[in-house]
Amino acid sequence: MSSTLQETQGRKGRPITDNDAQDITRIEELSYDLRIFEVMSREVFTLAPNQTIRDGLELLRIKRISGAPVVENGDLVGVISTEDLMRALTQNDLKSPIRTYMSANVISVKSYEPVVKALETFARTNVGRLPVTNEHDQLVGMITKGDITRGVLVAIRKDYQEEEIRRYRVRHLFEDITSDRTSLILRYHIKPRDFINGGQASSHIKRAMLRLGASAQLARQCGIAVYEAEMNLIIHTTNGGILRVQIEPHRILMQTTDDGPGIPDVNKALQPGWSTAPQEARNMGFGAGMGLVNIKSCVDKMEIFSGAGKGTRLMMEIHLRPEEKFSAAEGTEEPGI
Amino acid sequence: MTLQEIITKLDLKVLTTPQDFSAITPRGGYASDLLSCVMAGAQPDNVWVTLQAHMNVVAVASLREVSVVIITEGAQPEADVITRANEQGVILLSTSAPSYEIIGRLWEMGIQ
Amino acid sequence: MPLRLRHNNRKQVNYMKLSEIIKHVQGTVLNPEVQTDAEIIGGCGADLMSDVLAVVKPEAVLLTGLCNLQVVRTAEMADVRAIVFLRGKQPMPEMVELATQKGIPLISSQRGMFECCGRLYCSGLRSFETNMNGSHE
Repeated sequence: MSSTLQETQGRKGRPITDNDAQDITRIEELSYDLRIFEVMSREVFTLAPNQTIRDGLELLRIKRISGAPVVENGDLVGVISTEDLMRALTQNDLKSPIRTYMSANVISVKSYEPVVKALETFARTNVGRLPVTNEHDQLVGMITKGDITRGVLVAIRKDYQEEEIRRYRVRHLFEDITSDRTSLILRYHIKPRDFINGGQASSHIKRAMLRLGASAQLARQCGIAVYEAEMNLIIHTTNGGILRVQIEPHRILMQTTDDGPGIPDVNKALQPGWSTAPQEARNMGFGAGMGLVNIKSCVDKMEIFSGAGKGTRLMMEIHLRPEEKFSAAEGTEEPGI
Repeated sequence: MTLQEIITKLDLKVLTTPQDFSAITPRGGYASDLLSCVMAGAQPDNVWVTLQAHMNVVAVASLREVSVVIITEGAQPEADVITRANEQGVILLSTSAPSYEIIGRLWEMGIQ
Repeated sequence: MPLRLRHNNRKQVNYMKLSEIIKHVQGTVLNPEVQTDAEIIGGCGADLMSDVLAVVKPEAVLLTGLCNLQVVRTAEMADVRAIVFLRGKQPMPEMVELATQKGIPLISSQRGMFECCGRLYCSGLRSFETNMNGSHE
């Protein structure tokens, strides 16, 4: 079913963009998440088996539908379609009961089944509408492809609004709180030689920045700077260290502190290509002596305080341009709700 | 394609002592920044493209009989690296262009 | 024509579909659940992650001989669109999982760095690294 959806999108001539692809995946997810009872029509026009063909024709004409379930004592006993009625018409048999021409072999779906089940049934049987029954086989609704499309669209819209509201709230964090100086502090303990989890803190920081409404470029700059700093703690420190990010409306302060072994010659450490990294770090693609150089190019201000046998403190600062400020009201978008 | 033509076309800077580059014809190329991969995969007379510029590059190149190394992205080897390269007969060339571009242009010239 | 023009802020940008890149490197997609129809603006071949972080621009494909979790992290941080692991390197399941979570397609190619970069360059995918002397094409 997933491939069917993708292909139909692709064939319309428009290349699938990232956004489309996200939507497709979400639609696929929704077709499993959504239950039939959530999207089906509950207003069902039924016929009784002893009503006449003429009654059937009238119902289909007035309600502009192409078929109706036949119900006896609440139980679904058959369906009658335009085709069946046409058959009766050609026999000039308008007075016969519906029972004579209906199909008793009813294809139906259960209300608690996922929507994808209905889609599969549509594809397999070529019918346009399916009766929906509950666990006691009683008719509770009808479902068409149109119902599914509508249901999915409503669900997507709900998703979208929830995400927007969440973003909106976070984005306005700094505006909603009044203080002389508001800052959001993120703190992470980084363990030495933990190459497996290396970068996780930076990943969280980058995501937090994006949530706060930072531009992709700003989030990337911060991400790269803290990632290099995080890897430095992992590669070089004796006992690991602390990575701390302080987000303020107009600047971002990033800092790592550790308790050793310290950098004997800070100026040398700042030279591109200079490195004391062990082979393990080099095998990971780090330790090429570019870390501090990279950080420097990502931030507006960088300072290192260290010495042999002492701890190291690396301070990085990014000043936000007026349009990037987290509290800039003119820069923040209103959510579309 | 001689090394002289490659140097001219790619506008490479010669770091080691100049010699008659038109007498050298590299056979194929290899690109990696991981010395262990180069140790395992580079063929003699390959041109090796890397952004590494430290002493071990010369050691690996000479071990694998790779006679030409193009150091990319403007990485600058220390003077003692160049001295060692001269001693070991390894030609060091440099460019500010990234590895991807240098490899692409070598491939375009038929160094494959 | 593998290369198309895309209008981006009134500037024309060359790009190649990731699916075409996969063909050129004869690659296998390791996490097919991530869509591979992304538009890639350029290539970057490197094995040192600090180098990638320093020079790669967003929306590039990274070709690398290195195969560990930090490659995926680096791609995440630097907004790399897709990763091609060279010489048949197979990433560990946790790498595939992380990449899938971050929406980064992972591709494995039997070919080496030289051949992949060479072929992609000749098919029109340009370098997408900041030239260190500042003059970027």
